[in-house]
Parts: sequence; structure tokens; C-alpha cells
Amino acid sequence: MSIEVLLGAGVLAATLRLATPIALAALGGVITERSGVTNIALEGCMLMGAFFAIFAADKTGSLPIAILVGLVAGMALAGLHALAAITFRADQIVSGMALNILALGLTSYLDYELYGTTGTPADLPGVPTVDLGSLSAIPVLGGAFGHQSSILWVTFLLVIVLELFLFRTVPGLRLRAVGEHPRAAETVGIDVRRTRYWAVLASGALAALGGVYLSMAVAGSFTDGMTNGKGFIGLAAMIFGRWRPLGALVASLIFGYGDALSVSLQGVSIGDLRIPVQLLSTIPYVLTILAVAGFVGRSRPPAADGVPYESEGH
Amino acid sequence: MTLASSAPPTGPLAAPSVRQPSAQWAQGPAVPVISVLVALFIGAIFVLISGHNPIRAYAALILGAFGSPYDISETLVIAVPLTLAGLSVAVAFRTGLFNIGAQGQLLVGALAAGWTGSQFPDLPGILLLPMTLVSGVLGGAAYGAIAGWLKATRGVNEVITTIMQNYIVVFVMHWLLQDGPMSAPNALGTPASSPIGAGAILPIIIPNELVPLSRLHAGIVLAVLAVVLFWFLLWRTSLGYELRAVGLGARAAAQAGIDPRRRMILVMAIAGGFAGLAGMIQVSGLFHRVFDGFSSGFGFDAIAVALLGKNSPIGITLAAILFAAFARGGTLMQANASISSHLVEVIEALVLFVIAAETIVRAIAGRRGTPAEALA
Amino acid sequence: MKRLLVLAFIFSILFTTSCDALSGLTGSSLKIGLVTDVGGLNDKSFNALANTGRLDAAKDFGVQTSVIESKKQEDYVPNLTTFAQQNYDLVIGVGFLMTNSVWKVAKQFPNVKFAIIDGAPADDAGKTENLPNVANLFFKEQEAGYLVGVIAATMAKDKVGKATHNTVCSMGGIPIPPVDHYIAGYQDAVKTVSPSTTILNGYSNDFVDQAKGKEVGLNHISKNCDILFQVAGGSGLGYIAAAKDKGVYAIGVDADQADVAPGVVITSALKRVNKAVYNTVKSVKDKAYKSGDNFFSIANDGIGYGKLDPIVPANAKAAAEQALTDIKSGKIVPKDTVQVKG
Repeated sequence: MSIEVLLGAGVLAATLRLATPIALAALGGVITERSGVTNIALEGCMLMGAFFAIFAADKTGSLPIAILVGLVAGMALAGLHALAAITFRADQIVSGMALNILALGLTSYLDYELYGTTGTPADLPGVPTVDLGSLSAIPVLGGAFGHQSSILWVTFLLVIVLELFLFRTVPGLRLRAVGEHPRAAETVGIDVRRTRYWAVLASGALAALGGVYLSMAVAGSFTDGMTNGKGFIGLAAMIFGRWRPLGALVASLIFGYGDALSVSLQGVSIGDLRIPVQLLSTIPYVLTILAVAGFVGRSRPPAADGVPYESEGH
Repeated sequence: MTLASSAPPTGPLAAPSVRQPSAQWAQGPAVPVISVLVALFIGAIFVLISGHNPIRAYAALILGAFGSPYDISETLVIAVPLTLAGLSVAVAFRTGLFNIGAQGQLLVGALAAGWTGSQFPDLPGILLLPMTLVSGVLGGAAYGAIAGWLKATRGVNEVITTIMQNYIVVFVMHWLLQDGPMSAPNALGTPASSPIGAGAILPIIIPNELVPLSRLHAGIVLAVLAVVLFWFLLWRTSLGYELRAVGLGARAAAQAGIDPRRRMILVMAIAGGFAGLAGMIQVSGLFHRVFDGFSSGFGFDAIAVALLGKNSPIGITLAAILFAAFARGGTLMQANASISSHLVEVIEALVLFVIAAETIVRAIAGRRGTPAEALA
Repeated sequence: MKRLLVLAFIFSILFTTSCDALSGLTGSSLKIGLVTDVGGLNDKSFNALANTGRLDAAKDFGVQTSVIESKKQEDYVPNLTTFAQQNYDLVIGVGFLMTNSVWKVAKQFPNVKFAIIDGAPADDAGKTENLPNVANLFFKEQEAGYLVGVIAATMAKDKVGKATHNTVCSMGGIPIPPVDHYIAGYQDAVKTVSPSTTILNGYSNDFVDQAKGKEVGLNHISKNCDILFQVAGGSGLGYIAAAKDKGVYAIGVDADQADVAPGVVITSALKRVNKAVYNTVKSVKDKAYKSGDNFFSIANDGIGYGKLDPIVPANAKAAAEQALTDIKSGKIVPKDTVQVKG
């Protein structure tokens, strides 16, 4: 087993690719939970983004429109969740789960009706990659970053933007206040419900972007249920990252690394022992548990997280 | 959990509010029923748009679930493991813990039970069945305890651990059954373990003369006992009292009772035990061996079942039956009304969604609940 | 509250008056039922092909037909039973996962005909037991793998187009027999036609995750593989996507996947499940139903290779045709065990 298999440019490049959709879902989770709403429908929002982007790309041939439609689809689903959770004060977990099933059923149904016999078309516009040119020559890191999807770079940007937004701007502070002390925030004049609505919609868009990445950039097609639980891994990454965008990114990268290893270690033997491929697939999950266990201290969600809010004189 | 509560959130993303068992339920079984009707109405529109007959579809749904003794028996066959998984999730919720790992614990229980049952195939039932049952329960309990222990000692949020554990056991199961130590070559074509001994089988309890082809096995008895055990544990023991109090945020109870770390491990073990029992039942009652990839989705649905059932024994049982009815009725919707299985999913999701947002229904019904009621 | 009661009342009236509408398919023509495995109708693999066969048969023979998608393994028995109880003439179970379930149900409904794709009825002990009302539709996937392996090996050794590294590879979903048979035949052909060619193999451990499939593909390509054979359903589409991204070649599976990525997919290993279903329906209609083992292979056009991309040179095609003849005559018997496990 060479060091290349563990730390080569190939593995690191794969890490980045695999981490991207998880990070986007995690960012969505951070925004909504920071505002005090639990949105586990992120998986569903991802799926909506994945399908409707392909659909729009097929109908219009335009990448920007496809991405936009994907984001809107994710936001629509998130909007339903916001309605249930904020206006009707429903149980947020059940609502989220119901919407996940709804998204799965709806996208699978439409996929079959529209593309059942032929499959999604092969000539859809692709998402541009960012070529770092001569920088790719840098050992290891150059190979890792040199040729990645533009959505990956957008994700990095979003992490920085959101980190700054939440912790260095006034609107961000307001959002966090709504999540920590909604009553106090309302007293100070912040519209709790409106803030939460925006946060949930934003989370839908972020998760949807993760889905768009999967269908448009990675696969170039749509298959039923293609998100395969990445939305939930994203939620785990959010908790692991302590509800901070940068933390969520780090957590996503750790998971992505484990996932990349499960591929690069296939066929590698240590002496006479070959690790069965099925067990290799457990690496990202075991790694995540170990990584979280390795950190000292507890993870604490925003204080009013998941609790429906009712304002005075409502 | 109220906004004024200053208890440290032991919850994950957000421990959902733990409600009093009977208050909400007694308040209106009518409301969830009406919610279902509203959702079905919206679903009917979807069915119409897709070019099919909603009446025919719903008739198939209801008949598929309850139309004949065979159908009822099949609905119950699904409801049994789902109820147990629901209890697993609920017992953790009661303490403010979020057990997403019911699926993984179920599979570990199944593997353990399947192993025990097949290792000693010649033992008589009086020995083998309890051994198999205990293996299943202990297997699930151990898996759950790991998550509890990680949280107690290292502060690892149980949501993370249990989500990861679910995936881990699936892959380990692939390995064990495909070409690992538990695989048994057979003509079944699919990776499976050796069959369990006859003594480990939970017999079918409905005689063939009464309901031909019924698959309803003695696991239903175990499930009923488990429901009673759940009730007894939480409402008739001091441990249960303490767990519920902690779940409601009572700091004093938390400090007066057992060491919180022990409590976490114990609760997750109990939760895992319920789910492990579900896995054992699937092996002993239905399949008589462990199949790679069986029983998918129970653990996930169990979360909704527990929440819909307000974490109460009767509620969980009813919610499990509702889900099972959908699964079973959905089959007939496909066969007889040509409704795509995905549309069935959409309708199921709508029902769930509307039930969750009960207040929508209250508003339509012209009864605006007080905020406290809505929150409770 | 009152409004809702009225609604419920109306609903129940409508319900009872349409009670007879729910007895399922009625009429005198044959009733054909298809039960898919947990992969669903849109699995781009067996279930989808079986469904195509069913729909084609329905169109050509005027039979009535229905399909049930199974969601969990627990569903197989009740799904099959549902059709049997309604006196369907033929109930088809897709997949090796159902062998025991079909055995159970077929025994209880001796007057209903069944068919299993990729399997034979197996009793509770796991032993095969052929039944007079079950047709076992077996496919020799290794033959299909062999054919495409011949094409791949010829192109690899002649360094055709972008296949310059004399390395070929494959990716399975999970290491189960139907998947491994394809790979075994593929590897056998490569070793026979071009022993100097390097062979790689891997698994995505998933039939849905395209990102994973793509990573395995990129990994193989980084090890110089130029021709990627996917045997992993939806995940395999990711494997093909890797080939597309890196400008090399891929081979599809089960159905003809040339349209998935034109210019990239050079051929596909065909398993004409649709034909098997179609023929079985026809046999029931013509009262020529044959229970027990029914083999679909090159000999009866059940196995083949798909549309060849223009890049495939004439000698590769000729080699494949020769292999086809040889397998048909029995001169070549492709291996069905994987040699390079990966």
C-alpha cells in the first residue's frame, strides 16, 4: 500500500468531489437550524433540485435556467416545510420526513412518466469545470484542485460567505438571535417568522444546489433516489461542524475523504490480507464517528431549535 | 419542552417536544382522522391528473389493507415490526434522545438471531426460541448502547452515531452474507445465511383453514407484550418516571436519579433492544434465515410512527397500523387501479404531512385551538 | 365540522357505488402480472426490461396486464399472492431475490402459471425444486460478457482510438452471481483474446449511487483503463460518466445503452429480458407454456451485444461474430467465475 493511495492527488480530488453535495446540504441545515427551524427535508430538496434541473435542461437546453429551476424546486419543497413548521407549528420532524417521501415519490413518478423508456437525454449542457492551468503542476494540491466543477468552487465561496454572514453581520446576528432567543428577538423588533421563512427557503436552495451538482455535474442524468442519503449525511456533518459553515465544511471533507478511501483502497492488499470491498464502504461512517468522538466537548444546537414559536398576542 | 426551559438540550437537531401521553390523543382522535381525509382529497386530485380514477384507487387502498382476512393478516405482518421499531424510537424520545438508529439495531438483532438460530439447529424449540429471542434483543441493545456510550463519555451526538451505524451495519451485512462468515451457499440466488433450526421458528398462528396463506406469526404476541412492557416501563417503574421527567426537562429529577451517563447508555440499550426484537421477529417469523438487504425502511418509518403516535403505546400501535395499511393497500392500488407505486408514495406523504400539521385541519374544521394546545 | 361530515358522507356514497370497479382487471382476455424486485421499474436494468417486454406483449397480444413494484423483500410473497388470488394467467417475478417466494406461492396456486427471471423455485431449505407451473428463465450473462470482452480486448490490444494503454476494467454493483457472471465472461474473453491486456475490477457496493460509480471509474482511469464495462445499474451510469469525462470508452449492460453517452459507449452486453418475458407471454397465449428451465442465450437470441459505435473497427466486430458462432456451437464455453476480483 503506497502513500499515493492514502494521500495522493487522486484521493484528495475525489474527497473534494464527494464532499461537495454533503457540504451544500450541511450549509442548508446550518442556516435553518440557526434560525430555530429543524429541516430534515433537505434530502428531498436535493432530490427536487437534481430532477428539475435535468428536466429544465432537457426542455430549454440552457444551463443557467436549469440551475435556477432546480433551486426553485428545492425552495418550493422547503416552502411547504416552512408553512407547516412556522405558520402551522407542526411537528417539524414529521413534516420534514413527509416531504422527503413526497419528493422521492414525485421525482420518481415524473422520471418514469417522462423518461421511463428512454432514460434522461444524453446531450444535456454540462456544468463548466474550473481549470487551474499551470497551478495544477503543484504537487498533490495542484492535482487535487486543478480540475474541479465550478459548483465546487461556488460551495467554498458559500461557506465563506455564510460564515461571515452569520457571525460578522447584523442580519446574521439577528438570524442567530431568532434561533437562540426568539422571544427576546421579537421584543427587539425582529420579525421572527419572516426571518425563519427566509432561512428555510435558503436552506432549500442550498440543498437543491447539491442535488443539481449530483445530477448535472457528476452524473449528467437522473436516476430515482439518486441522492441516496446524502442529505442526511449533510445533517450529521452540520451537527459535527457545530452548526457553523466552516465546521460543516470540515466535517463534509472528513466524510468525503473516507468515501474516497473506500474507492482507492479497492484491490489494495496489506501483505496477504485484502480488505473486502463491502467493508471498505464502511470507512467514511466509521471515520466520522471516530472523528467526532475525538473532539472534546459537546455539540449544542441553538436553544430554540425545533420548537415552534408563537408570538405574543397572536 | 417550553421556551422557558433551561435544561441543557440533550436533543440532537432538536429533541421534538415530548408530550403527555394521553392529553393530546384524548383531545381528538377525530382530528387525525379528518387530517387523513383532507390529505386523501388532495391525493385524489393527483390521481385524477395522472389520468386515473380516484374512487377506484382509494377503494383498492382500503380493500387492500382491510378487505379480506388475508389482507388484514398481511397488514398486521407489516405492522408488527414497525410497532416494535416505533417503540424503539419512542423510548429514546421520552428521555430526550433521538434514536435514528432503529434500522441498524433491527439488522444487528436480525443477524444475531439468525446466527444463533442457525448455529444450533437441532435444539428443541423450548431452548432454541428463547435463545434466538435473547440474541436478537441483546444484539440490538448492544448496538444501541454503543451510541449511548459514545454520547455519555465523549459527547458524541447520538444523531450522528446512529445515522452512521445504520450504514455501517448494512455494509457489514453485505460482507457477512455475500462471501463472509455467515454466507451459506444456496440456490436462493440471493446472499443469505443458513436457515435457522425448526426450534427457532415463530409459528404461524392463524390456521390455514381460517385464513389460507396467512403469514401472521407468533411475533404479533411478542409485539403486544412489548407494547405492554413499554407502557409498564415508562409509567409503572421509577426508572420510567425518571426518564419521562428528564425528557420533559426536569433538572431535579435528572440530578436525583441515576448517573446521567448510565441513563443514556441504558436508554439507548433499551431502545436497541426493542428494535433488535423486531429484527429477530422478521427472521424467526417470516424468512427463517437472514437475507441480505431485507426489512429495509422499517427504522426510518418508525420515526414517523413514534411521532405520530405521540410516543405513546396505543398511538404508536395505531400509527404503525396506518403505515402498514398504506403499504399493503398500496399494493392493490398498483395491481387493480394501475396507480404508479410512486403516486402511492406521494399520497402517503400527503397524509403524513397533513397529520403533522394538524392545526391546518383544526382551522378548516372551524375550531381554532389555543396556542398552548397547538404547542403541546 | 359539519362541512367535513358532509364530505365524508359523499365520499362513502361514491365509494360503495363503485365497489365493483375495484375487482381489478375484468374481461376474458389473458391477465398477465409482473412483480418487480426492490429495484423498482426505473432501475435501468432487469425490471425496466421486463416491463418493456410486458408492455410489448400487451400491445401485440391484446392481453390485460398489471405491475406491482415491491418495496421490501417482505413484499414478494404477498405481491405474488395478490395476482394469484385474482386468477391471473401468468405471474412473472423479476429476479433471483424471489426464488423462494415464487416457490411458496406457486405451490399454493397450482392453477396459476408463473415465471421467474434469473432463477428457479427454491424451497425453504434453499434447494432448487422445479415446479410444473413455473418457468425458470435463465440467462447466460457470461456469454454476453464474453462477447463484449472480445470487442474490448481487440480494441485494447490494437490500441484503437483513445484506448492506448492496453488496459480494460469493469465495475459491478455488488458481488452477486448475476453481476459476477457478466464480469467473469468479460475477463475470460480478454484473457483469451489478448493475454497481455491488463484487467481491473471494482465494485460500487450500490446500485443507485452515481457519484460512487463515477469515483470507481475515475480511479480505474487513473490506473490507465480505457474501456470501462459497467454492471451496476444506476450506479454504473456514473461509471460511464467517468469515461465520458475523461474521453475514453465504456460498455453498457442489460439493455442497449448506446444512447446514454454516444461516442463513449462502444457497445453493450445485452440480456434480452424483454424478449424472454414477451416469449413467455406468447407461450401462454399459444398454450405452449414450458415449465422448468428455459435458457436464454446466444442460441436463441436471448443474449447478444449492442449497437457498435463507429470507432469499433471491423476486426473487432468480426471477432465478436466469430465468438458468437463459437459459443452457439459449444466450441467456447465462457467461464462464470470472476478471476480478477479487484
